[in-house]
Amino acid sequence: MKLLNPANLRIPSEPRDTPCLLGGRCQECGHVVFPKMPVCPACRRNETMDEVEIGRTGKIYSHTIAHVAPQGFSAPFFQIFVDLPEGPRIFALVGSECPVEPGVLEDGMEMRLVVEPVADTPARKDVLTYKYVPAHLGGSA
Amino acid sequence: MREVSIIGVGAHPTGRFVEKPLKAIAYSAIWDALNDAGAAPADLQAAYVGNSLGGLLTGQEGVRGQVVLQHSGITGIPIVNVENACASAMTALRGAWLEVASGAADVALAVGVEKMNVGDSARTIGALSALSELELSEMGMQFTTSYAIHPKINLKARMQEYGWTIRDFAKPAVKNSFNGSLNPLAQHRRPLSIEEVVQSRIIVDPLTLLMCSSISDGAAAAVLCTSDRAARFTSKKPIQIASCVLRSGEYRLVDDERADSATTTALAAYQQAGIGPGELQAIELHDAMAPAELMLYERLGLCGPGEGPMLIDDHVTTLDGRQPVNPSGGLCSRGHPVGATGLLQICELVWQMRGQAGPRQIEPRPKVTMAQNQGGLLLGQDSAVYATTILTA
Repeated sequence: MKLLNPANLRIPSEPRDTPCLLGGRCQECGHVVFPKMPVCPACRRNETMDEVEIGRTGKIYSHTIAHVAPQGFSAPFFQIFVDLPEGPRIFALVGSECPVEPGVLEDGMEMRLVVEPVADTPARKDVLTYKYVPAHLGGSA
Repeated sequence: MREVSIIGVGAHPTGRFVEKPLKAIAYSAIWDALNDAGAAPADLQAAYVGNSLGGLLTGQEGVRGQVVLQHSGITGIPIVNVENACASAMTALRGAWLEVASGAADVALAVGVEKMNVGDSARTIGALSALSELELSEMGMQFTTSYAIHPKINLKARMQEYGWTIRDFAKPAVKNSFNGSLNPLAQHRRPLSIEEVVQSRIIVDPLTLLMCSSISDGAAAAVLCTSDRAARFTSKKPIQIASCVLRSGEYRLVDDERADSATTTALAAYQQAGIGPGELQAIELHDAMAPAELMLYERLGLCGPGEGPMLIDDHVTTLDGRQPVNPSGGLCSRGHPVGATGLLQICELVWQMRGQAGPRQIEPRPKVTMAQNQGGLLLGQDSAVYATTILTA
């Protein structure tokens, strides 16, 4: 198994720790971005961004069920935007333990990060990425 | 800057042309435009060729503009390849306009061409996804999703915010399908009913199949020259480019309160042209998903927040209205061959302004018109490209 984007995701070596995203926080203006970038998009200063662990949890900003999929994905699947407590609003997929049915997700729902294959297709089943699942579902990630 | 006119336009029909290579689709649009202008290849001093997906879908990754134009007998002159996602063609127009306006060239050609039908729709959808920043596309982001729930438009949230219904979402598709039914170049020529649009299968909730532009092949071209040279080529009414504005997306944090990028682009175009939105007599806009037209009405200054559906109910933006929108049928009906769309919009406006639009002719003939084109998706919560052109006659 390999990571889709190792710079964006930290999987802890200690099993009791939980995985998280790697974002950037501006030393000057405090804005947090994901993914990391070298220039702060808010204050445009260069070389002020520190790596920061974010996104262990989040709240759904918007969600939909897509009934068509690009190559390498299988429909239907949830697609969501998640507001992270650290600031960024990010696009994400939803973990497979969450059934793809209308009414399962709601805007504002508390979510937690899980790590799993990008999609259950031959092209992407061996590539890991971050996804979110409702916080009330299941046990530890 | 010198005054620039469009003296000739041409378009290949939009639709499914699996056996026809990119350069053959472009050829017919290019020569229709040259013949319309009364110009020959030897008159051209610069050319810009917009195309978005040809690298991934045909394998011709480099020098597509030179390949396409050589096939049409246009060689030697500066040829610039333009890839700007779904706004590639209007970006090409801007390049040709700048050549002529600046004095670098007296006559220039803008071309937009796309071939999306390659016999494998999953591959085409995959290539379309690649018009978003890689970190989005590799996670399965697609444009239908972006229109449904992306913070920059979030059509689903508008149903809550404005009380818009799924029937409101269908209205632009119905209006534009009627316009498209009168357009011999259009891809989908059957007029639709609200019921049909609402009941077609869901693509990305709440968008249904008949609210989405579809996979399309097509091309369009325009010949530009200084306004004072127009009469040397043709007796047809020259159409002035009053403004041609290109902008890129902003990085938008959650607390961003700046105006939407479609709005800032339109405002710049209004300002440069010295024209306000109330003066527009025909508009072609980027309805890649039909209900986006309702949002664009307010973003382009045609109505206040949430009033979009009323412009259709009250026959303001219908073909017989005060400000007809998408007389060609728009992206959903005329078709959206992505790298050709901006110039297909321009072709329609030129035909309308000259009185050549046949059964869909707007009366009285529009003298002030606007085309709005956009494309791509960035991680910074915005589209990548915004382009708006105002024409006057």
